[in-house]
Parts: sequence; C-alpha cells; structure tokens
Amino acid sequence: MKFIHAADLHLDSPFLGLTSLPSSLLTTVRQSTFTAATRVFDRALAEQVDFVILAGDLFDRAEQSVAAQAYLFQQFDRLNSAHIPVIISFGNHDYLADQHQTVAYPANVTTLGANVSTHTLTLNSGEAVAISGFSYPQRWVTTDQLADYPVHAATDWHIGVLHGAVATGSADHYAPFHVADMLTKRYDYWALGHIHHHQLLTEQPPILYAGNTQGRSINETGEKGAYLVTSESGRLVPQFFTTAEILWATATLRSAATDLRQLTTELTAWLTEHVAAQSTLTQLTIAGATLDGTDLASVRSGEWLTLYQRTHARQLKAAQRYLINVVIAAQPANLTAPQIDAAYWEQGAATIFAPANLQTTFGKLAQEPALAAWFAQPATRSQLTDQAQHLLAELTGKEGHDEA
Amino acid sequence: MKLNRLTIYGFGHFHDRTFDLSTDLNFLVGPNEAGKSTLTQFITSILFGFPTKKHPVLRYEPLDGSRFGGEIQFTQGSATYIVTRMDGPRGGKVTLHNETTDLELPANQLANLLAPVDAQLFANVYAINEPRLGEVFAASKQELIDRLRHVGAVGSDFWLQQAHQLDRQADSRYKPQGRNPILNQQLQEHRELTAKLAKADAAYDTYWQLLQEQQDFRQQQAQMQATLRHQRQVTDQLTQQAARWSAFTEWQRLGQLAQAPVPSGFTAADATQLEQLRGQATAADQALAADQQRLQTLQQDAQLPPLFQAYLPVAAQMDPLLATLTTTRTADSDRQRLAASQHDLEERAGTIEAQYATNGQMPRPFSLTTTQQVAALQERLTTASQKRRRLQQQLNQLNERFQQQQPVRQQQRNPLADKQIIWLAVGLIVLIGSLFLPGTLFKLVGALLGVAVGYYGVFLVDSSTPASREHDELTADIRDVQAQLREGGHLVDDLNNQLDVIGDAHGLGDLPTEQWSAAQAAITEWERLSHQMEATHAQLVKAQQQVANFLTAVGAALPSLAGENFQTVAPQLAELQTLKQAIQNQAGDLATVAERLKTDQITADQAQQALAAFLSTRNLRSVTAFYDHYQAQRERHNQAEQRTALATQIGAENLTALQQVTDQTSLTQAVQAAQTQQAQTQQALDLTTAKLATLAGQLTHLTASGTQATLRQRLANLETQMVATTQDWLVQRLVSQWIAATLAAASGDRLPQIVTQASNFYGKLTENRYTEIELTADTLRVKRADGAWRTVGQLSRGTAEQLDLAVKLAFAVVMQQQVAMPLVIDDGFVNFDAQRRQAAYALLAEISQHVQIIFLTADTAVEQLRTGNLIRLND
Repeated sequence: MKFIHAADLHLDSPFLGLTSLPSSLLTTVRQSTFTAATRVFDRALAEQVDFVILAGDLFDRAEQSVAAQAYLFQQFDRLNSAHIPVIISFGNHDYLADQHQTVAYPANVTTLGANVSTHTLTLNSGEAVAISGFSYPQRWVTTDQLADYPVHAATDWHIGVLHGAVATGSADHYAPFHVADMLTKRYDYWALGHIHHHQLLTEQPPILYAGNTQGRSINETGEKGAYLVTSESGRLVPQFFTTAEILWATATLRSAATDLRQLTTELTAWLTEHVAAQSTLTQLTIAGATLDGTDLASVRSGEWLTLYQRTHARQLKAAQRYLINVVIAAQPANLTAPQIDAAYWEQGAATIFAPANLQTTFGKLAQEPALAAWFAQPATRSQLTDQAQHLLAELTGKEGHDEA
Repeated sequence: MKLNRLTIYGFGHFHDRTFDLSTDLNFLVGPNEAGKSTLTQFITSILFGFPTKKHPVLRYEPLDGSRFGGEIQFTQGSATYIVTRMDGPRGGKVTLHNETTDLELPANQLANLLAPVDAQLFANVYAINEPRLGEVFAASKQELIDRLRHVGAVGSDFWLQQAHQLDRQADSRYKPQGRNPILNQQLQEHRELTAKLAKADAAYDTYWQLLQEQQDFRQQQAQMQATLRHQRQVTDQLTQQAARWSAFTEWQRLGQLAQAPVPSGFTAADATQLEQLRGQATAADQALAADQQRLQTLQQDAQLPPLFQAYLPVAAQMDPLLATLTTTRTADSDRQRLAASQHDLEERAGTIEAQYATNGQMPRPFSLTTTQQVAALQERLTTASQKRRRLQQQLNQLNERFQQQQPVRQQQRNPLADKQIIWLAVGLIVLIGSLFLPGTLFKLVGALLGVAVGYYGVFLVDSSTPASREHDELTADIRDVQAQLREGGHLVDDLNNQLDVIGDAHGLGDLPTEQWSAAQAAITEWERLSHQMEATHAQLVKAQQQVANFLTAVGAALPSLAGENFQTVAPQLAELQTLKQAIQNQAGDLATVAERLKTDQITADQAQQALAAFLSTRNLRSVTAFYDHYQAQRERHNQAEQRTALATQIGAENLTALQQVTDQTSLTQAVQAAQTQQAQTQQALDLTTAKLATLAGQLTHLTASGTQATLRQRLANLETQMVATTQDWLVQRLVSQWIAATLAAASGDRLPQIVTQASNFYGKLTENRYTEIELTADTLRVKRADGAWRTVGQLSRGTAEQLDLAVKLAFAVVMQQQVAMPLVIDDGFVNFDAQRRQAAYALLAEISQHVQIIFLTADTAVEQLRTGNLIRLND
C-alpha cells in the first residue's frame, strides 16, 4: 500500500512580508502554491498511490479564492479519473462551511465531518485501511479531540488524520493533543497538519507533520513538501519529497564595510559564493559593517537595496536569489547616556513600554485589522523595545559624535 | 567649580587685564560700556568656546589687535586648573593645565570637567541677564515647561530637541487626523485595495453560484437528453404507426372479411375428393364408350368377303395348300433369285467370250509347263529386244561420229556403206530366218549367225586403210554393231516364232503375247461360270416346277384364282388365312365385350351417384358451383394469410397501439404533437447546452482572471509596508516618549526641591507677596499670599523676572552638589523696584555661601552693601 500525506497547501494565499516583487517573479509567486500542490498530485498519479490524505488548510476560506476552488475541482477530477480516493480533513483556515459547499467535490473525495469519524477504504490489493479524523467546524477547535478517535480497527491499517498542535496548556485553539494519547490508539500512522515545518513527533509509529507544500513567509524557510508513505514489512515508512517552487531563506553577510560601495562589492561577492539551488527569497542580515548615519539610513529605508537590485539584477538572477530586505545588525547598544542617569532611562522605559502605554500610543491604528493583528503578535512588543533601544543608542552616539 | 582668576589677553576693549575673584560673592561694578557684558561673554567663551565668525558681535575680538583670548584659573574639586583659549578653529585653541599636578591635559578633558554643564545650560541658567529673564514672557507655555525641565535635568535640551525631531519624523509617518503622512496614505490605499478585493471576492459567490448553476444545468441536460430519447422513440413509433396506417386499414378490412362465416366442405381435400370422383365417372364413361365401339367393330367384322365365301366350300381341299403357302412362297422367291443369278452368270460369260472367243471358240488354257515355257520365252525376248535397242543406239552414235569425221568422204564411203547394209541385211535375214527354224538351239545358232554376218559385214570386212585407220576403226565398229543388230534381230524372230507356235496351239493366235496371262485367267473364269450356270439352271427348273404345281392346285380349288400368277395369288391366300383365324376368335370377343359393357355401365352409374351425393351434401347443383365456393374459400384463406403478413409488417406493438387510435387524423395529430414536443425539448436542450457553454466560459474567465490573487498579494505587500511604517512611527513615538519620561524621571526628584526652593526665594524676592510656585506637566502658576493663583501671563514684567530668577537661583542651589557652576548675573535687576532689589542682594549674599556669584552691575548701591569682593571695572 502506498499513499501521500500532504497538508497546508494554502492555495492562492499571498506571500507575506514582501514589499515589492519584480514582475518576473510575481507570476511565479502567484502560481507557486498551485505549482507545489500540483507536484503533490502529479506524484500521486505517477506513483499510482492508493489514496491521498490532505490534513487541512488546503485553502483559506476567508480569502474566498475562486482560483483555489477551481483548482481543487480540477485536481480532484484528475485523481478521480485515476481512481485515487482523496481524504480531506479541513483545518482552521478551510474550516467546514456549508454555505459554499453546495457543489460537492468529485465522488473520489471524502471530507471528514465535524465529529471524528472513520472512513474505510478497500484497496486494489485487498487490504483494508481505516482513516479516522475530523474537520474544523469553525476557526478554532479548543478541545482535545483524541478521546473521540477509536482504537485500531480490525483493518490491515489504521491511519489518524489531525490538523492541530501539541497542547501547551493555555490558549490552545488548534485541536490540542498529546503524543502519548496518540500512541495509545496504536495506529499505524498519524498524518498531521497545521505546523508548516515538516517534522516527526515519533518515529514508530510515524506521527508527523507534512509541513506546507510552499513556504509563504520568511518564517517558513527550508525544504517544503509532502510525504510518500509506503508499507514495508508491516510498517508504514514515510519518505519526504519536495514540492516548493520558491524557497525562503535567511542569511548573514559578515561585513567589514565602512561605506555602501564596499558593502555593494561584498554583497556581490557573497552572491556569487552563495548560489541558491532554486529561486530563493532571501532575507539578508549584514553584520559587522560600520556605516555612518546617512549610509545606515539608506540601508534602513531600503533605498540602497532598491538601487542594488536595479544595478545587480544579473548577479541576483544568477544566484537565484531575490533579496526581500536587508537588515543591518545593530552595533552593540550603549545605553549610558552621558548626561542622564541610566536609572532614569530604565525608569522611563518601564512606563513607556508598558502594554497600556503601547496600546494608547497605537491608538486609532488598532482599528486597522492588518495592523492590529501585527500589534497583537507577542513578538511585536519586544521588537518595538529593541528597535527603540537601537534608535536611542544611535541618538546617543550622535550626541557623542557632535561633542567630539 | 569656583573661578579664581580671569586673565584677559585681548577680548573686547580689555587687554592684559586680570581679575581675581573670591569664591563667594563678587560685585563687578561699572557704568555702561565698562565691559560687564564683555566679561560675561569672556567667561562663557573661555569655558565653552568662541562663537563662530558668523556671530562677530559675540566674539569680542580685540579692537586694538592684541592677542585674542585669555585664561581662567578655576578650582574643581581639590584640583586647580588653568584653561587657556586662543583664537583658532572650532571655538578656539584650548590648552588645559592642572596646576595641582602640574600636568598638561588634553583639551577635550575640559568638557568632562565642565559636565554636565554645556554652553546652552550655562547660558540658560547660570549666565543671567535681563533679556534672558524677559524670555519667560516670550516663551510659549511648552517652551517654558521645557526650560524648566531643562533646568531640572541637565543635558535635557538635546534630548528634548531629539524628542521633538522624532515627533516630527513620526508625524511625517503618521498623524491620526492627517492625510499626507505615509501611513495615512497607505491606510487610504489599503482601504481602496480592500474595497477592490471585496469586489473581486464577490466573484467567489458568483463562482459558487455559477458552479451550482452548472451542476443544475448538467442535471437538466441529462434529464432532457433522457426525455428527448424517450420522445424520439415515441415520435418514431407514432411515425411508424402513421406510415403503417394504410396497412392497418387493409388489415382491418381483411379482418372484417375474415369474420364472415366459413362454410365447411370446401377444403382442398374436398376438392381432391371431387376430382377423384369426377375422374372415376369420366373413366367409367370412357370405358363404356370404348367397349361399345369395339362391339360395333366386332359386329361389322361379321360380314365376310366373296373370296372367303368361295373358300368356305373347298376349305378341306384348300387348307393343305394354305399350309404349304409359306413353303411355296419361299420357293417362288428362290426361283426369282436363281433366275436373276443365271442371268448374271450368262452376262459375265458372254463378256469373256466376246473378248477372247475366236469364231465362237474359246481358247484353251495353258498347262503348267506351257505356262513356264511361255514365261521363259517372253523373258528372253525382252532381253533380246533390249540388247537390240542398245546396239541400235550405239550404231547411231557411231554414225554420227563418222559423219562428223568424214563429212566429205561420206560420198566416197557410200559404196562401202552400201556394202555394210548388204551385210547387215544378210545378217538380218539370217537372223530372222533362224527364228523360223525349229528348235530353240537352231534358232539361237541362226540368230547368232545372222548377227555374226551382220557384224562381219559392218566391222570386219571394212578394213580401213592405214591412212584412215581411225576411220576404218569407226567403220569397223559400225559394221560390228550392225552385225550384232542383225544377230539380235534373228534371235527375236526366233523367239517370236516359238511363241506363235504356242499361241496357235491354244487358240490364242489373235492375241498379242502380252495379253496371254490375262487371257489365261479369263479362260479359267469362263469355265467356272459355265459350270455354275448349269447348276443354277437345274435348281431354277425345280423351283419353277414347285410353284407351278402349287398354282395348278390352287387354280383347281379356286377357279377365280386360276391363271393368275403367284404374286397375285399369294396375298389373297394370306388374307384368306387371316380372315379364317379372325372369324375363329370373333365369337369369344363379342361375349367378353358384352359382359364388360354391363360392368362398365354399373361403374359409371356408381361414379355418377357418388358425385351427385358429394354435391348434394354441399347443397350444390354443379361441380362449377363447388369450384366457385372452393375458390371463394381459397380467396378467404389468402386474405387471412395476407392479414397475418400485414400484422407482422405492422408489428404487434404498433397493432395494439393502432387499435387504440380512432382515426388517421388523430394519429397524424399525435405524431405532430410528439414532433412538436420533441422539437421543444430539443430547443430547451440546445438552450441548456448553450447556457452550459456560457457558464464554462464564465467560470474559466473567473478562474483565470487572477485579479483576486493579484490584489491579495498587493494587499499583503502593502500591509507589510504598513507594518514597517507603523513600526517606525511607533518606535519614534515611543523613543520620544521615552526621552520625555526619562527627563521627567531625571528631573522628577529634584524638581520638587527646586520648586520648593524657588517658592522660598520667590517669597523673599517679592516680600512674601507670592508664597508658592506650582509646576505641572504643562502649566506653571504662582499663588499669591491671599491664596489666589496667577498664571505667568498675569504677572507684571518685574514679578515675572523675579519668578525666573527665583527658579534659576533655586536650581543653582539645589543642583550645586552636581553642578556647582558660578552664577554670572549681568545687571539682572533693572526692572526690580528698590525694595525688591535690596531683597535680591540679600538673597544673593545668602546664596553665595553655597554658590560662587559674579554679579556685574552699574548700580553703585552695591558699594554700600559692604559685603563681598568689590571690583571696579573702570579702575
């Protein structure tokens, strides 16, 4: 028996954290989620797998993408023609919503219901496979669903499908679970979705996240793909295969540059040394450069990067890298202001970086959902604090500079 | 920090002047233009640098061209320093000397020694003059607070400036009410994009709607296709039925005919039976007629011919004769044959006779010996004749040669030739004569002799002359040949003679010898024929005798036949014999026929009765009537078959269906209705198909447009930018706030002391008219002794200046632990009344115990105070 376990296709979802893209890349980016998913389905057809499990987040229901739906219909039809069943467990993004699912997917597609249910397939080889799982009825599933999963059925194989995250104990919105509970079910395989980095929670039986098929932000670096699972002497052995059209990567350029001309030369040299295997959106951190205020500002504002991309398009293309932004690592902050006691700065910081003040300062912008979402992220506050310290450090440096 | 001594190299109108200062209160008194402001500026310049050349008024470069600059000796902590500043770049050339350790220090060490006081703070707080006190009124409320803050926290001016700059930068990024800042623009764009996306998202509902429609239409299409198939079948059936309508009506008509009652007894078997019956009757009738005919014939035959009547009486006499008739007839035919044979033989014998008979006498045939002899003779004769011909030829040749050789001599030789001919003639005669000799030997000898004679005459006698030897030889040859010829002639004659003898002996004299052998055969034949003729003749006579005897007997019995020849008599007798036999049979025949007639009659009657019965059972009068009925029956049968065939043609289902139909019109209508319905369904189906095509196009368009994805990506990008802008904005705002908060914190614990001290000093300066100063985050007000609050704007100029002085003095006193800068007051009390001025002097004297005060004034009243170190500038 042979099947494919994929998850988090996030069809037609935009790439996050980009400010501009060259038009040559734009089309590729727009198609990338589809291209990656197509690779999954192509593999399914090429390997003539017995079935395909999609463990949630095939698309973002809120985004109401026509292209995503049309694509799914088309691909499911393809699999249907090859008599390959598809088992879908909808996740937090593509949660079950009856209002639009009036036109059902082709007959080979089984969508697991809001309650845990078991779907049994009889393969051409005569083997019987039980697949248990559920779909999110809405954005959040806050309770542990594992109790509803049956123990290993009297079939040759039993596979669990779950879109969720390991329980942390608080604010668990995504079907929290414990691996130990999974083991008690004595399934042959757990096909997980939701976490975008493919990873094994246990080796035997395989409990694993397929990860998403195409990274969509700088937080989703590394190889992206799905698992081809094959039975070998009574065990299911997953084999990862890559599908991503575009990779994301962070990189650090150790620099000794003191001005932008040197930095440009260094970056060009770095690019020739670090040619990517495929198109890679790269976030570059420059460490060690000692630039003056103007140069720093030029880098910070992205002016320098824009200019670089315009003048070094050939080198970037050769390296298969598109620099999404360049971050200058801050010189070690020296918060000892010459004229004001450090204690007063700390005292000031305590009031200023208090959430209440942040919220007040953020003010009306909280009404903007996109900004509010960013502001609500836990990392934002520390980010703001860091940046404020950096800025202050710069101001202090400036003061010192003026005095000299 | 205390200033001990001011040494001026050249500054303003001062040059090479030294002022020694006490560490507490110093009064430097001089009228206007004595250099009070110049000294104030000198202290500031030496400590914090010369102003740039953009501000020449404040530089106080010496007018007499002496060395620009000077030095100040001061005590900081436990050490004494001398700072020297000369003209130079960036605020002047500075040297710093530690007098306590006697070490030169780097110039930048000066700032550290002065810290945290900088030029600005010094100018704002420690260098007090009237215009600066007046700034209180020019300042906005915020500036006043800032100033107070500045007073409260050293170095805060820079930070306030930074904070202000950050606020400006932040404002350029975002203003809650603004339109132009970056984030405001981005938010606007975001709203627009969101609206666009919402519009594009409407396609999503449209998509599902279209998908739903597509599904519905597909179902409809399938249904319609099924309906259409059914309708087509119905239409086809109805059309078929309509097409078979004529067949159906025919079928119906035949059905009606078939319903008529069918009489029995007219089947094919019945017809066969009838035919049998009729055949029997006919056969019976024919037999009867034939028998009647025979009876008639028999009765006719009973009348006898005359000859038979003549025979009857002599039957006994005639019967033996009649018995021999056959034999006689044979004899007669023999006779005729024999006669013909004899006649033939006679003719043949006659022919032979005519050929060979001489005088009616036939030659005799040769015996065997004679025959041999004749043959031998003839042979020899032939040989001899041949030899003679050859010789003759030879002779001719010789003669020719001779004539050619001797044509002239021919005449001469004529006598000789004559002689030769004579010889030759003699030889010939001898030869011929010998032939007539009896006996062959003689003849031969004779012939030879003749030849020899001839030969001699021709060849030997003529001996040629020697002169003409050849001629002679030729002549001799000729003679020789001639002789031989003669000899041959004799031999031939002899032989001929012998043959003649034989011929004469056998009567063949007239016949040439050559015909002898043929004649011999004919003679033999003739003799045989003669014998046959004799035998035939004898038989002929015998047969003639037998016939004649028979005829004689017949003639005797039947005189009517007497004298008739046998050929006439024989048939009559044969007829008589036949008649006799027939009459013997006739009696039996008649009886048989009569009996048969009776039987026939019965049979015929029975057949006729059976036929009648057959017809009567069917209530018919004639056979024709039966056949009419029979024909009708068969017609009906055919029709039934035709009907079955029609039913098959129409088909069972159609037939059932057609039977439900009332008439053709309704059927036609039904067909038309079905066709119309089918056409309608087809139309509806076409419409659905077209709609499906349109839908597919719409769906493809929706799917392929990519608007949603593009907008969403743009939105995502914009949001990234917005977040970045917001972050920048927020960071700037926060840092600004942070600076403010830090300044507030830094000044926070001193400010109350300053305010308290200032309130105290203000009370002293205003003779306790005002008792309290209140400083909040954004307001500054004072409380009168009567409890009423006054804002800065409500104070008189003097009172306001006193407020500022009080605050500055309070600051200097409160901060002296950290700062300890001397207070340089340049004629600050001009707007004070005399009482308040005295109060101020008293206050200065009090403060100078803690803070060095350098008071520059034109007011000579200070000389009367008798306190402090008094320096007259004009000295």
